[in-house]
Order: sequence, then structure tokens, then C-alpha cells
Amino acid sequence: MNWKSLLRHETFLALLLVAVLIVLSFQSDRFFTVSNLLNQGRLMTEIGLIAIAMTFVIATGGIDLSVGSILGLTAILTGVFWQKLGLPLPAAAAGAIAVGTFAGFANGAIITRFSVPPLIATLATLALYRGLAEGISQARSVRGYPDWFYVLGQGEVLGVPTQLWILAAAAIIASIILAYTRWGRTVYAIGSNEVASRFSGLSVEKTKLALYTASGFAAALAGVIFVSRVSTTRSDMGTGIELDAITAVVLGGTSIFGGRGTIAGTMIGLCLIQALKNGLSLAGVKGDGTIMLIGAVLILAILASNLFERSGTR
Amino acid sequence: MRNRVLSALLALSFSTSLSHAQSAAWTGGDELPTNPLACDATPATVAAKPYDGGSPTNAPDRKGKTLKVVDVPKLVGIGYFNATSKGIADAAKEIGTMDAKTDGPSKANIDDQITLIDNYITSGVDGILFAANDPVAIAPVLKKALAAGINVVGYDANSTPDARQWFVNQAEFNGIAKAMVDSMAKETGEDGAFAIVTSTFTTPNQARWISEMAAYQAKCHPKMKWLETVEAQEDNILSFNQTNTLLNKYGDELKGVFGMTSVATPAAADAVTQAKKCGKVAVVGLATPNAMKPYVAADCVKSVVLWNPVDLGYAAAHVLRAVADGTLAPGATSVKAGKLGDLSVINGSEILLGAPTVFSKDNINNFDF
Repeated sequence: MNWKSLLRHETFLALLLVAVLIVLSFQSDRFFTVSNLLNQGRLMTEIGLIAIAMTFVIATGGIDLSVGSILGLTAILTGVFWQKLGLPLPAAAAGAIAVGTFAGFANGAIITRFSVPPLIATLATLALYRGLAEGISQARSVRGYPDWFYVLGQGEVLGVPTQLWILAAAAIIASIILAYTRWGRTVYAIGSNEVASRFSGLSVEKTKLALYTASGFAAALAGVIFVSRVSTTRSDMGTGIELDAITAVVLGGTSIFGGRGTIAGTMIGLCLIQALKNGLSLAGVKGDGTIMLIGAVLILAILASNLFERSGTR
Repeated sequence: MRNRVLSALLALSFSTSLSHAQSAAWTGGDELPTNPLACDATPATVAAKPYDGGSPTNAPDRKGKTLKVVDVPKLVGIGYFNATSKGIADAAKEIGTMDAKTDGPSKANIDDQITLIDNYITSGVDGILFAANDPVAIAPVLKKALAAGINVVGYDANSTPDARQWFVNQAEFNGIAKAMVDSMAKETGEDGAFAIVTSTFTTPNQARWISEMAAYQAKCHPKMKWLETVEAQEDNILSFNQTNTLLNKYGDELKGVFGMTSVATPAAADAVTQAKKCGKVAVVGLATPNAMKPYVAADCVKSVVLWNPVDLGYAAAHVLRAVADGTLAPGATSVKAGKLGDLSVINGSEILLGAPTVFSKDNINNFDF
């Protein structure tokens, strides 16, 4: 059965995470402190939100490369709606998120309506949305947001960074949907065999459309949080974030061919990368060394997971 | 993996062509007021301004103690910031009581830089030297450093003033603008048409220089024609391609190219050389002398404008030491910076390195950085 190998990958990854945490806390006494860990949670929220939606997308055998551009577009629109159109900030942010969600919907429509492979479709919109962001912003940053807006990205609720609550809620809801609902099973079914799913009467197109829309929404939400965290908007925001999100998802055991993957795996993968980045930096390793190590860990984790799979029932 | 590389390439080419289509409408300058210098060599009068920098909360007494300092440039691995970190290392060695290391993002990315600084705050340094990728985006994390009692000094690219204590200004914007435009006018004549290759339209220094150049050109060389400003991301290949496109697009009309970054200028010179337009198209720009020596020797480039980045890093390290010792406090009018002597305080909380240098065939071989 598949779930066995799946369980193994995540167990392995969780053990790896624990090992990394232990090693890193011996390297620097400032690593394993509550304030540092919470701060790291703050820094990984944007990638985390995107990675959660990306897990669904990749589990159907698709991919969404345009998330970074949607993030940038949403960020710019939040600023433009608020400053140029004079909307109140909550309305501006909501409007920008609506546009970002629609951008995701457009991805889904292109993919399902015209059967364009997701890689190509979202590669095209990656360029398109980034171009829109640059064009709309006219390369001007929007700054000077009111203080209350920074609560979202820089503030705390009950001692925990505000956005971490959002990430936790999103992760819990998403894992329930993926693991326990008929809809979640549909996602796996599409990833395992799209043709068979269609003949089994599953609504393949509708599900995919909803997934890419959700991916757009997650990226848009991450965009608003990002603006609040860095207190300015720039059209180059979120460049390359799609690769960080995909790395976390794949490290978390989601098969790039679809049919396999869990939210828990993605979250562990995300934490592992963030812990390595932060812990190595605190231990005095420079940026270039850290990136190399993360690459090595990614390859090792995938190799180990393949080994388990081969020794399993498959 | 191949897909990713492919996608990155495709995306790059897409976004380049997109920014092309639109960049004609943009000058690449910012919206801040300009202050062009006089057309002759009359020095500008400096208005006194009260200290507007921030101050660290409950900083321990660091007088004479060894400082643990991290230097976070915009990015690592390019000649310019290698030179600034050499200056910082030189100064640290000379001072003795300073333990400095350089660590920066591998791309000029705001988020990577913020995360890096955040990690160093957690790791507990005494001082941070930075060159900001975005003046506002970096402010929250620098304020956090100040709140943690860390001494914060900027160099090369400023943040909002209240997010750091002092900023070492390599050259005043209008001074650079004057040197650039005067050199170009000398080479292309008073009615030449020129284009600009910059990093991105939001990079603070470049946007400021371009605004000042526009103002100075309008005031002192009104017949020169400004064709276009293009973005090249501080990327070698992109800078080359953008210059090539400009050469093809404007043909003989184009008489000169400004390179606004130390990456763009040599790439522009290379593009002009390969197009066999040396002597027909002038290249004037900001660049490190070593990168420009071949083009200057071949007479393709006549003037390279820059301050000495080794001195810039050197001065920044000395300023940080002075701040930590308490010898440089708000209200001071000058600071001692080792072999550079006394540097003066301008604009409230900035320290001026000096006037820019114009490197030419006569003096470029005296510099090695």
C-alpha cells in the first residue's frame, strides 16, 4: 500500500528535523530559544502559505510557477489601490487579494479549458503577472502605511507572530481537507491517473480550477503579509519564491508526478529548510555555504525516500 | 532541474522584453527634489541640519572593547563590494579591537538581506554595517537591531535615517551627477543624444543620481537629448544585451551611454567594443578602475567616475568604532577616520567621504581595486 511508504518518508524527515535541531542548538546557544524560533516562523510564513496550496497542485501532477509573480502583483496593487485610488487600506488589500485570486483562476482556466500543460501555462503567466506588476507600479514603491497595518506582518497576538496564526490555521484546514474529505481523495486520484478519474465520474476540471484559484489566493494573501512585514511595496517582490515553495513541497515527500503528498510533510520540509538556513547562519556559516548544504540535504532526502519506496511494497 | 533553468531563462527574456516595451515612459529617476550644482566649479553651500539618525536602546559601554561586527552589503561576489569589505577588513586590522566579517545575499534581494541581518541580531553582534537594497524595506530589521542595543552604521546605500545611527556617504548625488554629465558633454558635444543603463528603477542610489543628472543636464547642457533609460539588474549579460539593443535601436543617433552601476559600465563598454563603435559612441559611467582598464587602454572609454570603495569601507568601519566609543555623538561636525583624516558631517547624520574621482588614461593605472 502507498500509505506505508508515505508514512516512512515523513517519519524519516521528522527524525532528520529533530537531529538537525539538536545539532544546530549545540552549534549556537542562541538557536533553540523561543524568540528565535518564533521569529523564524514569522520569516517562513509567506513561503509556507504558498507551499500549502502548492502541495495540492503538485499532488494532482501539476505545478504553479506563477505564485511569485502573483505575490508581486498583489503587493503592488495593495499599494496602488490604497494610495492612488484612495481606497481604505482593508478594502485595498481585499481588492488586491481578489485580483490575485482571479490571477490563479485564470491559470486554472488556461490549464483546464485549453489543456495547456501547467508548466507552460504558469510559466507564461509568471512573465505576464510580473510584467503587469512592473507596469502598474511604474517602478515606484508605495510606502508610509498606517501603523495598525504592520500588526499583520510585524506584530504579535498572544505572544506569537500574527502571521504564524494564519499559517497554522491554513495548515490545519488544508490537512483536514486533503486527508479526510472526498475532495482530497479526488486530488490524489487525479494525480495517480487523470484519465481513470475522469471515467470514474470525478469532476477533474472543476477540482483543478479550484486548486489553481486557491494557489492564487494563497500567493495573494502571502503578498499582503509580505508588504506588512517589510513596510513597502516593490514590483520585484516574491521573485523566486516559487522555487522555495516547490523545494519545501518536494522535500516533504510530495511526488512531482502526483498522487502522493501530505501537508504535514510539506510543513516539516519547510521547517527543515528554515532551521538549516537560520541555524547555520547563527553557527557562523556564510550564505553560500548554507545554500550548498540545503541542496545536499534535498538530494539526500529524496534519495533516502526513493530507497524506502523501493524496499516497500511497490 | 532543466525545466527550472529553462523557465528561469524564459522568464528573464520575457520580463526583459516587457520592461523594454514600457521603459520609454520612465526616466528611472525618483520623485525627490533635486539640487543641481553650479555649471562651473562653484562649491555648493551646505545647510546645517540637526541630527536625524536613530540611537540604540541600552547599548552596553563598548569603549575600547573588542567589537564583533558584521558587514552586510547588497550582495556578495562582485568587485565593488569585495573592495568595500577589503576596506572594512583593513580598518579592523588597523584598529585592532574589531572583529569584522562580511556576509551578504548572493543576489541583490531585499528579503534575503533582511533575513540575514535578522539572524545576526539573534546571534548577538555589537555592530552592523550595511548597504541597503531598499531604504524602507530594511528599516524594520535595522530598528530591531537598534532596539537590541546594536550600533548600526550604513554605507553606500542608505536606509531611512531613523533606522540607523550614521551613514557614510561616498559622494553627494549632485556631485556624481555633475561629474557624469560634464564628462559626457565633453565627449559627445553639447547636442549629443545619450541613453542610460541602470540597475532597477527602484534602486535608491541610481534613481537619485538619475534625477540629479536630469536636473543638471537641463540646467547646464540643455541641448543634450535623453533617449531612454533601461534596467539591467546589476547583471553582466543583461547589461551587455541592453546596451546592444540600444545601439541597434538608435543607430547613429546614439552618441553616448551612461553606465549607472559597476556592472553595467564595463558591460556597456564591451558591447560598444564588439559593435566596433569605439570613438563613435562614448561610454561614461560608474565603475571600478580594474574592470575598465582594458577599455581605457584601448581608448574606447575616456572617463570612469567613482569614489574609492576601499576607502568607503575603511571609513565605515572607523565610524562604527567611533560611535561605539562614544566619540562620534549627535551634533558632531566631523569624525576622525584613520588615514583619511577628518571627514565632515552633512545632512544631519551622514558622513561625506569626499568628491568623486574621474579616472582617465593618465591616472587609472595608479589605482588597484
